[in-house]
Amino acid sequence: MATFSYQNKSIITTAFLILLTFLPILLSHPVYASVQEASTRSSVCGNGVKESGEQCDGSDLAGASCTSQGYTGGNLSCSASCTFNTSACTSGGGGGGGDGGGSGGSGYVAPVTSAIFNGRAYPKSTVTLLKDAQIVATAIADTNATFSFNISGLTGGNYIFSVYSEDNKGNRSYLLTFPVSVTSGATTQISNIFLAPTIAVDKSEVKLGDNLAIFGQSSPNSEITISVNSNEEFFNKIKADSGGTYLYNFDTSPLEIGQHFTKSKAALNGEITSFSATIGFAVGTKNVLAQPSAKILKGDLNSDGRVNLIDFSITAYWYKRSSPPASADLNGDGKVDLIDFSIMAFYWTG
Amino acid sequence: MKHFLTKILSALLLGLVLPQFVFAADIFFEAKINEVRIGEQFEVNLFVNTPEEGINAFEGEITFPNDLVKVEEIRDGNSIVNFWIDKPEVQNGAIVFSGITPGGFQGNKGLFFSVVFETKSEGVARFEINDARVLRNDGTGSQAVLTIAPFEMTISSEASVVVPVVTKVKDIELPESFAPEISRDESIANGKWFVVFATQDKASGIDHYKIKETQQRFLYIFSKWISGESPYVLQDQELKSYVFIKAVDKAGNERIVKINPQNPLGWYENYENWLIVLLGLVIAYIIKNFLWWRHLKK
Repeated sequence: MATFSYQNKSIITTAFLILLTFLPILLSHPVYASVQEASTRSSVCGNGVKESGEQCDGSDLAGASCTSQGYTGGNLSCSASCTFNTSACTSGGGGGGGDGGGSGGSGYVAPVTSAIFNGRAYPKSTVTLLKDAQIVATAIADTNATFSFNISGLTGGNYIFSVYSEDNKGNRSYLLTFPVSVTSGATTQISNIFLAPTIAVDKSEVKLGDNLAIFGQSSPNSEITISVNSNEEFFNKIKADSGGTYLYNFDTSPLEIGQHFTKSKAALNGEITSFSATIGFAVGTKNVLAQPSAKILKGDLNSDGRVNLIDFSITAYWYKRSSPPASADLNGDGKVDLIDFSIMAFYWTG
Repeated sequence: MKHFLTKILSALLLGLVLPQFVFAADIFFEAKINEVRIGEQFEVNLFVNTPEEGINAFEGEITFPNDLVKVEEIRDGNSIVNFWIDKPEVQNGAIVFSGITPGGFQGNKGLFFSVVFETKSEGVARFEINDARVLRNDGTGSQAVLTIAPFEMTISSEASVVVPVVTKVKDIELPESFAPEISRDESIANGKWFVVFATQDKASGIDHYKIKETQQRFLYIFSKWISGESPYVLQDQELKSYVFIKAVDKAGNERIVKINPQNPLGWYENYENWLIVLLGLVIAYIIKNFLWWRHLKK
């Protein structure tokens, strides 16, 4: 009887221990996210282990932090594509020092191939960085509208990087694109990125002689040049306030009846942006308030609020096929060809 | 008076024509050599110059004398083109390509791709671009004014040899990281779920992609890879499977990306979990027997 109870006890104990060992495996439910891996000269994103070619993987940040990425603080996390997500990092000061090669007694540290981006957007706006047309990081601009990204895990070669942001009214800037040649084992610095102002008008039609409010956002205290195109072009200057907001009441008296366009650019400390998007308005006999701009982006075929690879793939599916859906035929000419792709590429968000 | 009128007309014509030339994009070939021996290889790069305006979509067809040269390899490793609509490849004796650069490209010497040719017989090989179109990054897809310079290569048994004629690509880097996405659209495959993916390789270029769908978390290694392209219609439309995408570059380096299932199996639905329980019980049984045996020995 005594032996039987001992046998029972040992079985129960060992079974309990084994179940305890395997329980975490049984109960660990995956979270929906895309991740990556590696084998011989390959890498698996999503296995929770940072491997060659990855900046991080899940919670494995390989010892990196916001400060090691050139920020002053905040929380560094890992994106779905196993690159650092610095959106919760806070910036404040100048760039970090040189990462010298450091010989010394400890082991060899392979030089990091990275790129640092500094620039101005809009105060407290979310700035998105695209690498070869796919989102690689987002960051929040500070109250001075400055932002910074430190992207590592690159390889030597030519990249197309792009930046865009949204102002406090949800108006998106143009995609500012710049080709960058990254040198292997070195840090490439791209500075003085200056996003063009956003722009909107209060009326879609304005009675001749009445004022038209032209407004938007840029960097705080920047000098805004507003251009109104007519038979002759009118240029007006105004200073953005401390929040980066600008408002100019344009007297339409000198304009002729008909369609006109306006755009703006900003200058600050010797840096100057390109012109913003061009906004149209009519000068007529009555005032018609402008409707809030539709949030459906041209080229956003699946209506997810983004123009990206999914939309490209849907368009590519209908490329040169007969009877494409109206959503894919962006210029409405009854076919999907290079022009539709060009329109999509212009409105791209990644 | 006649002379004066001619001058005025010329000035007006220049005024009309000059801006067109100022904002023209130039597509041109570049090679390290312009003469080569028979049986040797040479590399030709296709570039675009567009310093004044952004362009975002491109297409064209490179023609070459098939009796004099043959295409050995097409490299798009450092291309300014982010997404190919028609990946450059030989179709009916010509290289056809089309693609886009979201946000546009503005600058000089933007590389479309490189082609490695091998010479077959003597002669002057002329390379031209037909049906080329370059579209502006202006939201309407307007066509940019384009100038195209053809290129000639003399193939001769007496050509002086220049080494290296073809750049050797030493690629030890993985393809770039990427984040595939699962989506569906009523206009594609009857609204079935599909996965989209794209990446680049800066050295040798992407060679192909492979896809694997499996409901197993640990035994996925036994599932087969299937060659595929984006968009790839998923076999598991209930989205209970892990989806693996493998990007392989031309040097054989691989990057595998895993997408976890949106509707994962319950733990009791996955036979792997029962295998683990069974394994646990077997181990428990073995330990029990071992302890029992030790107890008896005492």
